[in-house]
Amino acid sequence: MSEKVTEAPAVPAGPVAAAAPAAREGRDRRKLVLALVLLVLLCVPLLYPVLVTYSYWLQMLTIAFMWIAMASSWNILGGFAGYISLGHNVFYAVGAYASAAFFVHVGISPFITAPLSGLICVALGLGIGLITLRTRGPAFIISTIALMLIARILFDRWGWLGGSNGISLPMLDFGSSSLVKVPFYYGMLLCAVLVVVASYRIKKSKFGLGLRAIAEDEVKAEVAGINTRMYKVAAFAISGFFIGVVGALWGYSLFYLRPEAFLTLAVAADMVLMAIIGGRGTIAGPVIGAVLIVAFNEVAVSQLGSSEANIAVTGGLLILVLMAFPLGIVGTLRERGRLPRILDWD
Amino acid sequence: MSQIVQLTILGILLGGVYAVMATGLTMVYGVMGIINLAHAGFMVIGAYISFEMFSRWGVDPFVSILVTGPALFVIGVVTYRLLFAPITENPRFGEMTVLVSFGLALVIEGLLGAGFTNIYHRSDVSYGTATWDLGAIFIPQGQVYGFAASLVMLGLLWAFLYLTKTGYAIRATMQNRSAAQIVGVNVDRVSTIAFGIGVGTAGAAGSLLSYLFTFFPGAHWQWIALLLSLIVVGGLGSMGGALVGGIGLAIVAAYVTDIFGPTWSQMTFYVALFIVLLVRPQGLFGKPLPA
Amino acid sequence: MALLEIDDVRAGYGSGPDILNGVTIRIDEGRSACIVGPNGAGKSTTLKAVAGLVKVRSGEIRFDGDRIDGLRPDEILRRGVCFVPQDRSLFPDMTVRENLAMAGYSISSKGELQRRIDEALEMFPILAERRTQRARTMSGGQQQMLALARAWILRPRLLLVDEPTMGLAPQVVQEVFAVIQRFRDTGMSVMLVEHNVKEGLGCADWGYVLDLGRNGFDGPSESILANPSVRELYLGKSVARHTEKIL
Repeated sequence: MSEKVTEAPAVPAGPVAAAAPAAREGRDRRKLVLALVLLVLLCVPLLYPVLVTYSYWLQMLTIAFMWIAMASSWNILGGFAGYISLGHNVFYAVGAYASAAFFVHVGISPFITAPLSGLICVALGLGIGLITLRTRGPAFIISTIALMLIARILFDRWGWLGGSNGISLPMLDFGSSSLVKVPFYYGMLLCAVLVVVASYRIKKSKFGLGLRAIAEDEVKAEVAGINTRMYKVAAFAISGFFIGVVGALWGYSLFYLRPEAFLTLAVAADMVLMAIIGGRGTIAGPVIGAVLIVAFNEVAVSQLGSSEANIAVTGGLLILVLMAFPLGIVGTLRERGRLPRILDWD
Repeated sequence: MSQIVQLTILGILLGGVYAVMATGLTMVYGVMGIINLAHAGFMVIGAYISFEMFSRWGVDPFVSILVTGPALFVIGVVTYRLLFAPITENPRFGEMTVLVSFGLALVIEGLLGAGFTNIYHRSDVSYGTATWDLGAIFIPQGQVYGFAASLVMLGLLWAFLYLTKTGYAIRATMQNRSAAQIVGVNVDRVSTIAFGIGVGTAGAAGSLLSYLFTFFPGAHWQWIALLLSLIVVGGLGSMGGALVGGIGLAIVAAYVTDIFGPTWSQMTFYVALFIVLLVRPQGLFGKPLPA
Repeated sequence: MALLEIDDVRAGYGSGPDILNGVTIRIDEGRSACIVGPNGAGKSTTLKAVAGLVKVRSGEIRFDGDRIDGLRPDEILRRGVCFVPQDRSLFPDMTVRENLAMAGYSISSKGELQRRIDEALEMFPILAERRTQRARTMSGGQQQMLALARAWILRPRLLLVDEPTMGLAPQVVQEVFAVIQRFRDTGMSVMLVEHNVKEGLGCADWGYVLDLGRNGFDGPSESILANPSVRELYLGKSVARHTEKIL
C-alpha cells in the first residue's frame, strides 16, 4: 500500500507569516525615519548663515531636547514603576548647582562635570529613596513635594552658592552671541537621545519588567520574589541622573542660576504633564509630550501673556488628559490599534 | 524659663490652627483614600474671600467663616461629583486622585493669580498684632482667637462625626469601606459629604489664614507640603493624629524659629516627615502598614 | 415566581473583560443553592453582581419580581438581600458588640436593634463571650461567626455567602455549616459559593456548576455530587475517583 507523505510546509502560511516580514519592514522603515530626523537635527546649527531666526530656533530646539530628556527620565519612575514624583526638579537644581560650584570654585567646565553632577543626583536619589520608598502608599509622593521645598529653602539660604540672589557663571566664549548656544544644542540633543535609548533599554530589560510588575500590582510583585524596594530606589536614582546632567548644562547655558528658576511647582508640573499627555510608561510618549507642551507653552505665552494663565491651563490640561485619555496620546492610539509605526518605539 | 513657656504657648496656639487645616485633608484620605493636593488651594480661596470681605466691607474674618465654610463645602461637593466620583472604580484610583488634584491645585493657583495678581495679602485686623502682656510673656491676641475658633470648629466636627447618623456612617466608612457598604451605608453619598466637609473646613481655615499669615496665589504649595507632612506624621486618616501632630510640630517649629529664624520653621515639618518615614512610617496614630 | 432570578447576565469589573458570560440561576423562596466550579468560573462575581457590587452589563437580576440590577448596594440590602463576602468585611477596630450594632445601621428602631443584638449573642455563644473584643484580634472562625451574626441581625430574605469556610479548620467548618443550616431552618433562602463541594452542596437544595462564566450543569445537590462526569470535569479525574470512594 502506498503511503501518502504529506510534507509540512517549510514556511508557516497564513497571516502570522505574512505579518513577520511586514513587521520587520516597519521596524526598518522606522529606524530609517528616526535616523533621518536625527541627521536633520544634527545639521540645524549649520544653518547659521541662512536662517534669520537662527537663535530663536536653536533655543527652542535646545529647550525641547532638554524637556524630552527630563520627561523621559521622569517616566522611568513615574511611568514604568508607577510612582509619581512631584518634586523631580530637585535633581534639576542639584545638577545645575553642583556643576556651577565646580565651575566657579574649581574652574572645570560643566560640559565635563555634568556626568559627575548626574552621579551626585544618583547618590541623592539613593539616599532619599531608601527612606521614602519603604512603604507602598502615598507617603512617597508627599515626600517628593517636601523634598523640593526643602531644596528651595536650602538653596535660598546657602551663601556659598549665592543664596536667593543666585550665582553667576563665566560666559562661554564661542564666537558670536548666536553661536554661543550651539554647544548646548548638541549637548542637550545628546542627552535626549541617550535618555530615550536608555529608557528603551531599561524597559526591555529584566529590571524594566520588574518595574512594570510593581506598577501593575506591587504585592504580587513582592510575592513573586522581586525586591520591590531596591527596584524602586534604583529607578528613582537612575531617573535623577539624567535630570542632573541636563540641569548642569541648562544652568550653564543661562550663565546665571537662581533657585527660583529651577525649584518651582510649574517646572515639576510640566515634567509630569509631558509624560502623561504623551503616554505614561511608553517610550515615545514623553518625547511627544515634551515637544507638544514646549510648543504649546511657547504659543500660550505669546498669546496669553501671563504665566498665571499658563499655570491654570497646564492644570486644566492635566485634568482633561487624566479624565479623558489616561493613557496619553501614544497609549490611547495604541489601544485603539491606530498607533503609527513611526511612534511605536516600545 | 519664660522663653520656654512663651514658645510653647505660641506653638500650641498655632498648632490648633494647623490641626483644623489638616483635619479635612486627613479625613478625606481616611474615608475615600484620596490625597487632595488642592486642599490648600481651597484654603487660599477661602483666604481671598475673607480678605475681600474684610477690605471691601470691613467684615471680620471670623464672621466670614460663615461664608467661606459653606461656600467651600458646596465647591467641594461639586468637585467630588465632577472629578472623583467618576473614577472611583478605576484600579489606579489612588494615583489618579493625586494627579487630578494636582492639576486642580494648578488651576486654582492660575485662576487666583490671574484674578488677584501676585501681590502678597493679609487682612489687617486690629487684633492681628495686638498682644496681652503677662509679665515676660506676650500672648498674641490674633493667635488666641484663631486657636479658639479652631477648637470650636474641631468640636463641631467631632460632634457631627460622633453624634449624627451621617457622621457615624462616615466613621464606619473610614474604618472599612466595604463593610460599611454591606451594612447599608450609601458610601457614595457619604463620600460626597465627607469630601465637602473636608473642603469646607479648608475654606473656614482660610478665613483664619487671611489674617494670621500673608498669602498669595502660589502660597498653597508650601501649605499643602506642610499639611501633608503633618498628616503623615500624625498618621494618614487619623484626625487625632492631625491634632496631636499639628500641635506637637508647631511647638517644635516655634523653637526652631526662635533659634534659627522664621524661614526655617517650615523645615520642621519636612524634616519630621522624613524622620517619621525612617522610624515609624505609619505615623503616630496610623495603622501599621503592610511594608 | 422565584425569589431570585439571574437572567442571562453578563458582568465584569471596571472596564475589564466579561467574567460572567450569560449566567442563569433561579432560587425559590425558602430554598438554597450552592455554586461550585473551578477557579475563575465567576462564582464570587455572581454573588457580587446580585449584591450590586459588580456592574451588570446585560441581562437582568430580579428579586421578588423587581429588577435589582443597577441599584446601589444599600438599596439592594434594604430589599432583603444580605451579602457576606469572602474577607468578611468586618470593622476591624470595632468590638463584637459595635460590629453588631453597626449591622443595624439600616434598622430604624433602637429597641428592635437591641433585641436582635441580644438574640444574635444568644445564638452565637462564642461571640457572647467576646462581646468587647476587637474584631481585628479574633480568629478566622470567630470572624466568620461574627459576619454571619451580623447578617442574622439584618434578617435578610436572601443570604449570599462567599466561601464561608476559606482558611478555616475542619471543625470550624462544621460549625459554620451548622449555622447556615439553622438559618435555612428559619425559612431564609441562601445562595452560597463554596470550594468545599461536598459540604457546600450538602447545605443546599440545588447545585449550580459554573465554568468560564457560564452555566455548566445544574440540578438537585445529590445528583451533582453523584454525577461522575461533573466530578471529573470540575474536580479533576484523580480527585473525582477519590471522592467516589468517600461518598
